[in-house]
Amino acid sequence: MNRYKLIATLLCAPFFMFSQEDDKKDYGKLSGGIESNSQYYVDDSKTGDFEEDDPFRSNNYLRLNYDYKNWFAHIQVESYEPNAILNFYPKYKGTDVGTFAVGYKSSKFEATLGHFYEQFGSGLILRSWEDRQLGINNSIRGANVKYRPTNALEFSSLYGRQRDGFEVSDGSIYGFNAEIGLSSLFKLETTGLDLGLSYVGRDEDLDVDNPNFESLTNAFSARLDFTEGNIYSSIEYVKKGEDVYSELGNIIEDRYFDGSAWLFNFGYAKSGLGIDATFRRMENMAFFSERDESANVFNQNYLNFIPALTKQHDYGLTNIFVYQSQPRLTFNPIFKSGEIGGQVDIFYNIKKGTTLGGKYGTKLAFNYATWSGLKGNFNINDRTYEDTEFFGFGEKYFEEFSLDIKKKWSPKWSSIVSIVNTFYNARFVEDRIGEVNATAIVGEVTRKLGNGKSVRAEVSHLFSDDETSERAKNWAGGTLEYNFSSRLSVFATDIWNYGNPDEDRQIHYYTFGGSFTKGATRVMASYGRQRGGLVCVGGICRFVPENTGFSLSVSTSF
Amino acid sequence: MRTLITLLLTLTISTTVFGQDVLPKMQIETLKGANINLEDISSNDQLVIVSLWATWCVPCKNELDAINDVYEDWVEETNVKLYAVSVDDSRTVKRVKPLVSGKGWEFDILLDTNSDLKRKLNAPTIPLTLLVKNNKILYRHSGYTPGSEDELYEKIKEFSK
Repeated sequence: MNRYKLIATLLCAPFFMFSQEDDKKDYGKLSGGIESNSQYYVDDSKTGDFEEDDPFRSNNYLRLNYDYKNWFAHIQVESYEPNAILNFYPKYKGTDVGTFAVGYKSSKFEATLGHFYEQFGSGLILRSWEDRQLGINNSIRGANVKYRPTNALEFSSLYGRQRDGFEVSDGSIYGFNAEIGLSSLFKLETTGLDLGLSYVGRDEDLDVDNPNFESLTNAFSARLDFTEGNIYSSIEYVKKGEDVYSELGNIIEDRYFDGSAWLFNFGYAKSGLGIDATFRRMENMAFFSERDESANVFNQNYLNFIPALTKQHDYGLTNIFVYQSQPRLTFNPIFKSGEIGGQVDIFYNIKKGTTLGGKYGTKLAFNYATWSGLKGNFNINDRTYEDTEFFGFGEKYFEEFSLDIKKKWSPKWSSIVSIVNTFYNARFVEDRIGEVNATAIVGEVTRKLGNGKSVRAEVSHLFSDDETSERAKNWAGGTLEYNFSSRLSVFATDIWNYGNPDEDRQIHYYTFGGSFTKGATRVMASYGRQRGGLVCVGGICRFVPENTGFSLSVSTSF
Repeated sequence: MRTLITLLLTLTISTTVFGQDVLPKMQIETLKGANINLEDISSNDQLVIVSLWATWCVPCKNELDAINDVYEDWVEETNVKLYAVSVDDSRTVKRVKPLVSGKGWEFDILLDTNSDLKRKLNAPTIPLTLLVKNNKILYRHSGYTPGSEDELYEKIKEFSK
């Protein structure tokens, strides 16, 4: 890797790319961002020594964008030196160019060559995206062309291979998408109606000697979005064609299954009240750019975006039992063919001046989510199954009620109370044993002290009947945060598994640290003990083993 | 490690020469489903606040709640306009409309469902709050602590003149 050439280029860059003011000549515009997340792991007398290599680990990203008239380009260099932070996808190693692209963009036409991020509809059929906390960057390297003949029409087509570490995965990806604004085409005045149609194909030839095997797997999607006044609704259907079954990463040459997904959403919104309900049914819908990656635990090589549709909670103790969506078909270690369920959200503002609303109003957020396996008859030995009922709810995987009450008492005081009641079927969600019933109660108060100073305190308790060793029974938690100004904050937080029957596992997971922000620059530093478990961002989770140490994050943009 | 430090230092030096000061040219979807040009929102000397937020981001919602409480006064006194850009992805984007209605927020909501704007602004974390006029970014702040809306309002008054 000719790193030094790159450094030289970067150093010189500003000298030939002045911003527009100089000489009134347009040299284009360069911008970029740096993000660095580092950890220094230490031995912990309570939870054990750090036994991996490289106690210091650092993930670093440098992105540069260049825009000149309608042309654009970007490059992203990533450095995982001397190693990526714990339990990242092992292919993120060393320093190299992660993504790059050049392209042209006008109001009607857009073309990108290189790595691009794309999403068709809700992503149920295709989405490429990046999340640095989760270690996901599944951008597609290839060509993406979009054409918008009118405001109501957009057509896209793409071809490429999906990023996999610093390489690309084996399957070639083809995609076509059409977005059709029916309401503008038919000049509907008050009704919004949009139609979307997509095709995604993944072509990966394998050495499989079976007449049923086809290297190309096709998926089709149709969707309709509707709005009228206070009401909105959408429906999406995806059909994934027959593909060879893969179990724990091994191809089973004589077993072929197709997949499908339904997504239905309905909502009502007026001032002071919002209701949203979602139903989703997925059967064998995990869709990978490379078939033998189907057992990977790092969320890599996914072509489609199928996150858990549950509420993302805000506190340490409400994030212990987090549902993960179950799109896959597996016969081993346990039979699952998909999931069915939904969630309802209600947001309500109790008006100012009423008994419950008080002087400033009271804001309520309620969520109910339930997810189950699909009902079906299966034969584990033959690896066959019949799925008979469309609305058949099988084994319950997860159910949750939650309510947040947010109240401002005076210009200085405000508070939040949050209650979460969860049923969590660890046998199906985590492929281990046990079912859990848990209730978390959280209270937090914030007091403004003037001149940008404020203090926030939070206490929480989790009642749990879980018997899994490292998180059994009850927990208690607390957080204290002090903001010196909008720039500087410090915090200390602790969650404590005090109810664990095993006294050695009655562990305090504490963290203290601070953050400093100025303009586009943000620095965060902390020291603490991290609970082993799932770190979830937006319904996608990454497993992190228990660890103790320092962490430092720096980000800036220019 | 040394390479890394060299790289970071090199950049710090080289970047002091230029600064990102404009909103990217791109189309962005409104909550009603229309597409607008991002450059148009701050044209003709209109001062706008652009705030990147998400339904799952507590400080973001606190910031927008706090601004909503005083938004009428701000508009009356400075004619500022707030565009709250949700970076919710397709998992949570359906929550945006009921949440905005439920909270009674009165400002404009835009949708950045696959983080295209967030990426172009090189914003690893939200909330991110910008003050923009004639497409030029005049002020940038990330994070929210209670009371920092007062600081923002000082800036608004400064730039609305």
